[in-house]
Amino acid sequence: MALLEVEQLKVHFPIRGGLFGRKAEPVKAVDGVRFTIEEGQTYGLVGESGSGKTTTGRAIIGLNPITSGDVLFQGRSLKRIVRGSNQSFRRDIQMIFQDPYSSLNPKKRVIDIVAEPLRNFERMSGQEEKRAVQELLEKVGLSPDSIHKYPHEFSGGQRQRIGIARAIALKPKLIIADEPVSALDLSVQAQVLNFMRDIQKELNLAYLLISHDLGIIRHMCDYIGIMYKGRHVEQGTTSDIFGNPQHIYTKRLLSAIPDMDPNNREKQLQLRAAVNLEYKEAYNRFFDEQGLAYPLKPLSETHYAAMPERG
Amino acid sequence: MWKIVARRITIMIPQILLLSIFVFLLAKAMPGDALSGLIDPNIDPKAIAEKRIQLGLNKPWYEQYWDWITSALQGDLGQSFRFKMPVTELVGERMANTFWLSLATLVFTYLIAIPLGIISGRYNDTLADRMITGYTYIGFAAPLFIFALVMLWVFGFHFGWFPTGGSVEPGSTPGTAAYIASKLYHLLLPALSMALITTVTTVQMLRNEIIDTKFKDFIVTARAKGASESRIYNRHVLRNSLLPIAAFFGYELTGLIGGTVFIESIFSYPGMGQLFLSSISLRDFSVVTALVLLYGVASILGSLLSDLILGIVDPRIRIK
Amino acid sequence: MGDKNLSGWRIVLKEIVRDKMALLSLILIVAITAFVYLTSLLLDQSQIVRVNLFELNKPPSSEFWLGTDQGGRDVFGQLIIGTRNSLTIAILVTSLSGLIGIAIGLISGYFGGMVDNFFMRIVDFFMILPTLMIVIAFVTTVPKYGIMSFTLIMTAFLWMGKARLIRSKALQERELDYVKASRTSGSSHLKIMLVQVLPNLSSIIIVSMTLNLAANIGLESGLSFLGFGFPESTPSLGTLVSYARNPQVLESRWWIWVPASVLILVLMLSINNVGQALRRAADARQRLG
Repeated sequence: MALLEVEQLKVHFPIRGGLFGRKAEPVKAVDGVRFTIEEGQTYGLVGESGSGKTTTGRAIIGLNPITSGDVLFQGRSLKRIVRGSNQSFRRDIQMIFQDPYSSLNPKKRVIDIVAEPLRNFERMSGQEEKRAVQELLEKVGLSPDSIHKYPHEFSGGQRQRIGIARAIALKPKLIIADEPVSALDLSVQAQVLNFMRDIQKELNLAYLLISHDLGIIRHMCDYIGIMYKGRHVEQGTTSDIFGNPQHIYTKRLLSAIPDMDPNNREKQLQLRAAVNLEYKEAYNRFFDEQGLAYPLKPLSETHYAAMPERG
Repeated sequence: MWKIVARRITIMIPQILLLSIFVFLLAKAMPGDALSGLIDPNIDPKAIAEKRIQLGLNKPWYEQYWDWITSALQGDLGQSFRFKMPVTELVGERMANTFWLSLATLVFTYLIAIPLGIISGRYNDTLADRMITGYTYIGFAAPLFIFALVMLWVFGFHFGWFPTGGSVEPGSTPGTAAYIASKLYHLLLPALSMALITTVTTVQMLRNEIIDTKFKDFIVTARAKGASESRIYNRHVLRNSLLPIAAFFGYELTGLIGGTVFIESIFSYPGMGQLFLSSISLRDFSVVTALVLLYGVASILGSLLSDLILGIVDPRIRIK
Repeated sequence: MGDKNLSGWRIVLKEIVRDKMALLSLILIVAITAFVYLTSLLLDQSQIVRVNLFELNKPPSSEFWLGTDQGGRDVFGQLIIGTRNSLTIAILVTSLSGLIGIAIGLISGYFGGMVDNFFMRIVDFFMILPTLMIVIAFVTTVPKYGIMSFTLIMTAFLWMGKARLIRSKALQERELDYVKASRTSGSSHLKIMLVQVLPNLSSIIIVSMTLNLAANIGLESGLSFLGFGFPESTPSLGTLVSYARNPQVLESRWWIWVPASVLILVLMLSINNVGQALRRAADARQRLG
């Protein structure tokens, strides 16, 4: 059994307008997404901004209401739990936020921030709690003495580590990381990412990594899903996606990855032009009248793509 | 734009409806009813009960409300049992007085605010600015009634420059030039007293707007292009700084309502506020109810006006 | 972000000390408050408000420091008790209306959507009411009123501004990720509102409460001045000023109304001063030096 199964997830936001709050056509932020995450693995969600990847992550953890479809965690439906009073699923799913500045309450000390989940789920004495927080800080590479400091006394990378310490405090099984490093300097990005991998091995964590950066995705993920306008266009293992992209949107996305070798510049440029041309020509075949992707079709055991009906 | 006006007015209708229900219930909660004043102890209690039925006072409240609101819409606000005359008639003349007082106050407010605000904003951190800012600081803290008392004491009693009460010289014939002059003369001190206090927020706002505007890029550009200082201020800074002041106008209007009550009471000026206070003390509740309703409608209209002005002035709201 | 290592309160204190006017104002407020509450313990209120026909309208003397009024009552004693009463009611009204405003604003802004819509329509309605007249009408309707009923009537019409202010700030706060982080950490909405969001609103709450305190002193004395505050047996600052509505008192017996007027002005100015200093402290861009 997979750790997390997302089944035909739809998240629509109603738009109210007009004098009497007439319902207009809702925004379909997520429109029928399905994927699974296995224990200890990393699933990457890629897409441009507005593709619904962040909404997907938030719907799984209960920050956005699910319109239809379901999310199963260890076989239990989270949809019902989110609505009900039982919050225990929150123990096992945690989140790392994009912005290390707004995700830490500026009026709270590190100990209060990191201990918040502990206070909600564990009964600990003040001493135990302090020790636990110190251990967590040590684990994320911060000095245990800094528990009484305020967030503004830390750099962006350090703040993100505090956020990670909070996320792993309850030893969760799944962490949803929404652009965890995009707000950080490049030099710090690699540090934090590698550190996330170390923690993953240590705690046997599964990640749902949401990013627009294909480099990071390639580096971190076992499985990848590519989203466009609220739907998946392609899904597969890292080698499926990077070695054998099928959907034109994926191809175009991949061709946009910068190449470090200046000698390849000319080749890269030509490749990009060719892919762009193919994209324009094949666009009507690959997307329906509303510009949305078709349902996924299996290409191999792991590889799925939203190929046109009559290929 | 018209869509917004229509929308804003549709919001207003339930507001007025709610207000009228609220005022009606308030009136019901007041001790005594329209009959308590009429009742002569010699009248047979049976006759009173009959009269009650005749006036519909034993009907359920919503029916009484309906009767009240429909006649109010036709301009009938009931009878004042103290003055033995229709409330509408009683209020009419007072309303005109209050209207003139408010208008004079508004004129003074802007006559004071605009030059002071411009001086203070244009030459900020000079001696003149410090003095103006000091004045606004004190004016902001000083309660209107104390300031008005001091004005009355100094200019009304001590120097005797202004009349200390009334809205016109007794005995003058309406319509004559002397009558109008006397009216204006009686308006001067009350209106000025109120304006000197209410203008303070406008001065502060104009000052802050001008200071904000004068460092904006488009002003720097104008200066770099060689426009003269007076041209910069008259054409660019002022035009942009006056917009928020215009938008504030409606609020100013609602603010006047509370102020006139104090001013009319202190200067014995026969307006709605004074009538309100005396009716409360005389327990003439049909007048009180009518006045609360009128004040409420005035403040609803004030907020409507300020929203509409804001819509005209600020294109961003218009688009929405 | 100059003062990186200072906590909120130390910034506030530093700002007030740096601003000499605010410091002076704060000392003045504390001194007046302490003096008034302490000496009123020694004074016998019923004796002060008792009419004394042998001592009518006496100018200040060694016996009556600020003379007597037309009822032969000691003005100085009335001033002390009046200041105490005015301060008490202003503090009560400010805290109570603040509490209601904060609660409604916080709920409205934090939840947003329908909840927000519901509360804001109520606020809109209260905002268009002619507050002063309705308070006066209520005061006359309530048969027997004292400090508590007076406080409640004023509070009922004074919480809306605070609710709007808090709501607009709470709307901004709820979009920040730390609120979502608390959700995913398993904290309840109530806990997030009180423990996470509220501390981030503390500075604007303190500033606006201070300014409200000054305004409420003005409002209370204004109502008493019009004769709709406390009954005459309970003097307030406005009661003393209201004697000046008699032209004779206004013209020739300054000792009755001038001290109370000056005291109202001093209190309101000082509290406003402190409020402005607090505002500067809360807004990093406006800090002095």
